[in-house]
Amino acid sequence: MSQGLFDAFYLPPGLAEEAETSVQRFGPAHDSVELRLVTVTPAAIGAWIDALWVARAERLARRPAAEIHRVLERVAQRFLDPGSAPRRSATAWLARIGQFSAPMIERALEDTFRPLVSGGVSRWVASEVGSVAALDAPTRDRKGILRRASGPEWMLQIYAGNVPGLPVWPFYSALAMKTALLAKTSSVEPVLAPLLARTIAEEDADLAACIAVVWWKGGLTELDRAALRDAPAVLAFGGENAIASIAREAHPEARVVLQGPKVSVAYVSSASLTRSGIGGLAARAAYDVALYDQQGCLSPHAIYVERGGEVGPAAFAAALGNALEDLRDGLPRRAPEAEHAARVQLYRAQAHFEEALESRGTRVLTSSRSTDWTLVYEDGARFEPTPAYRTVRVHAVSGAAEVAEALAPAAHYIEAIGVEAKGGERGKLAGTFAATGIPRITALGSLQRPALTGTHGGVHRLLPFLKWSTVELGTATRTRRPSPRKRKRS
Amino acid sequence: MRDLIRFIREVPWEGGEPGGAFADLALRSFRLQCESIPEYGAYARHRGPGPDRVCDWREIPAVPASAFRSHELSARAQTDDAGTVTFETSGTTISLPGRVRLRSTELYEASLARNFARHMLPDQAALHAIIFGPPRAEAPRSSLWFMVDHVARELCPGATWIVEGGNPRWERADEELSRAVSERRPVLLLGTTLLFHAYFARCEREGVRFALPAGSRAMDTGGAKGTRIEVRRADVEAAFARAVAIPPSHLVNEYGMAELGSQFYQDTLLATKERRPARPGFVIPPWVRTRVLDPETMQERPRGAPGLLVHYDLANLEIPLAIQTEDVGARAETRLTLEGRLPEAERRGCSLPFERFLERERMSEGEP
Repeated sequence: MSQGLFDAFYLPPGLAEEAETSVQRFGPAHDSVELRLVTVTPAAIGAWIDALWVARAERLARRPAAEIHRVLERVAQRFLDPGSAPRRSATAWLARIGQFSAPMIERALEDTFRPLVSGGVSRWVASEVGSVAALDAPTRDRKGILRRASGPEWMLQIYAGNVPGLPVWPFYSALAMKTALLAKTSSVEPVLAPLLARTIAEEDADLAACIAVVWWKGGLTELDRAALRDAPAVLAFGGENAIASIAREAHPEARVVLQGPKVSVAYVSSASLTRSGIGGLAARAAYDVALYDQQGCLSPHAIYVERGGEVGPAAFAAALGNALEDLRDGLPRRAPEAEHAARVQLYRAQAHFEEALESRGTRVLTSSRSTDWTLVYEDGARFEPTPAYRTVRVHAVSGAAEVAEALAPAAHYIEAIGVEAKGGERGKLAGTFAATGIPRITALGSLQRPALTGTHGGVHRLLPFLKWSTVELGTATRTRRPSPRKRKRS
Repeated sequence: MRDLIRFIREVPWEGGEPGGAFADLALRSFRLQCESIPEYGAYARHRGPGPDRVCDWREIPAVPASAFRSHELSARAQTDDAGTVTFETSGTTISLPGRVRLRSTELYEASLARNFARHMLPDQAALHAIIFGPPRAEAPRSSLWFMVDHVARELCPGATWIVEGGNPRWERADEELSRAVSERRPVLLLGTTLLFHAYFARCEREGVRFALPAGSRAMDTGGAKGTRIEVRRADVEAAFARAVAIPPSHLVNEYGMAELGSQFYQDTLLATKERRPARPGFVIPPWVRTRVLDPETMQERPRGAPGLLVHYDLANLEIPLAIQTEDVGARAETRLTLEGRLPEAERRGCSLPFERFLERERMSEGEP
């Protein structure tokens, strides 16, 4: 299935026939994949945008939202079916491009598409918009306000390739609000977005007529500019430089959401540190650390562990080391490139240096061979991202206040905190961490499975792009007599 | 110190040194450093068998370059600190830069003088230097501008600095280059790749070129990987040829870091003098050893295979001589090729203002 050539783009029929393509090798010379790419020029981008705009007006704008959502849910269902062609194709090609191990890819597809079936899309939309029907016609919301939400005519989305599955919810968000989509894939993961578009095309040609998925080299100014210049909406993921350049090029009136680089952390309360529970707890923490080889913004880099539990923070660190060792085979990683492994080794050497000086009670635990995992234990809270690839710092702390203070200067780098706590302390901890501005507070072990009804980067997925038409023609408004003061003024 | 200086001045460039002198000097420096730098001593005892039981220089524990940021890793002053030179090492967005403090720069200068003369002045030319960077007084904590300042004072009859008050004065470069052209006087250009790049971009915009006389040459340091500007080596060479008529045979790239007393140069100019093709990579001077380790297992890699670099530099006496970097490269005999280098600005903590300046330049050109 992954032999031969992969079409790393999607253009609707009509546009596809006119497009020029070329085949390029992708990945290391000894193990490269052949990708067919469409030749992107400013003129081509302009033509695609025009075509998407027309297709949206004719084939998408007047369709009932619920019907579109059902199509999207059917597509998600196909990606969940292990025997289906799209699922097998996604698994095989994602494995071929070599970023993640096969078990990791299976997990990613499952976690990404599962929330989008069985009414998931409609529930998500309703959670932000109030009701799905409000995307079709003015509808009364809970406060009785009559209003309709409209998505932008089209939207530019720029994906990063750090975690598999990243394009999926953005893709769905555009179509769910009846917005045509021009998507630029990442150069490290050019696979899933075109597959998603092709699967949508198999289910619903009208919907797929409103999608174009292409790749061009980021930083090619004229292409970036052609795509950004008139985009009424932009959703982009990327590094700081890419994000800054998009912010400069976007139209001043465009609705722009930029998701820059972030990491996550975790907190374990003393009450949850019990002898009987330590194994399961460490396994949950290890899973959050190991998934996607810590490349995602939801991967924890630091775990803050309260002193005073039945089991101490040092014992938790030891248990976490064992759990990470178990995942070496259970959820294998892909070997990092030499440059990244060198960074992990430097990090280890630095930790050994601190261990030698015994200034913070530092202890270094590592996998016996290779850079599989690295754990640095120390006293006191502080925050510094690790070089990733399953490198985590465990801090023994006195309580949440100490952690909140340490996180404050870096809060804008933090996407989520995974919390392990018992009963009533959960609410209290959530309050403390919410006050730091961390966008997401969730259970340890669930860091990598964000709810669609939540936010990403502290921003909703649909709301920033919606425009509202509010109807104020209600009888009460029309017949109410003006107040005397108002009359006097007029 | 005397033995080290003598060794650096006298060890032959090719063919190895007599009687394991490198190993002997390295072990003596290592033992001394375990005493004079207590933090390093603690680390060496923690990671290895201890200073008295290490008998192969390869067993000398290499200090991570990052430790200069977290700890004091310079020998403690026994006497008056007057005259101490401090270099800042690279910082990151979160951590502060580290410090290298040298009470004596004699070893640094001995290494620099011999290495620079061989690779930049193999014909013993006395050339006016045009420096694409600030004078030392404006960047007192930069090892790069210390080095360039020393070269200008000791090896050149005169020098002009292009950066003043944190800003490049391009018109000054125009004047100096025009003068060299009209007087038919070869010159020596020294600076960072990024700053040369910015100047040449301006020359291109304004349609200015300088046909520098034969014998003119340039040393540029640092690449541009990881910055907002990516410059390929072939483009750098083409730009030097186009803007100032310096051919690739007279352009020498240098690799250095504040944590090392010695630098590494390409041998392009030396090869031209010796009428042979240049060899790829950077020359490892004979008073430095570089080990290439498998970044997964930390075992020595076979010749030519890439890995992480650990340098052992006899010019480091007041700071540990063994430095573990995060650089990846390969070694063949006495040559080093680099992959995935971080930009010079980041490594030497010297040129943030330049970076900001470059961003302004690019924005005024209308680029992202």
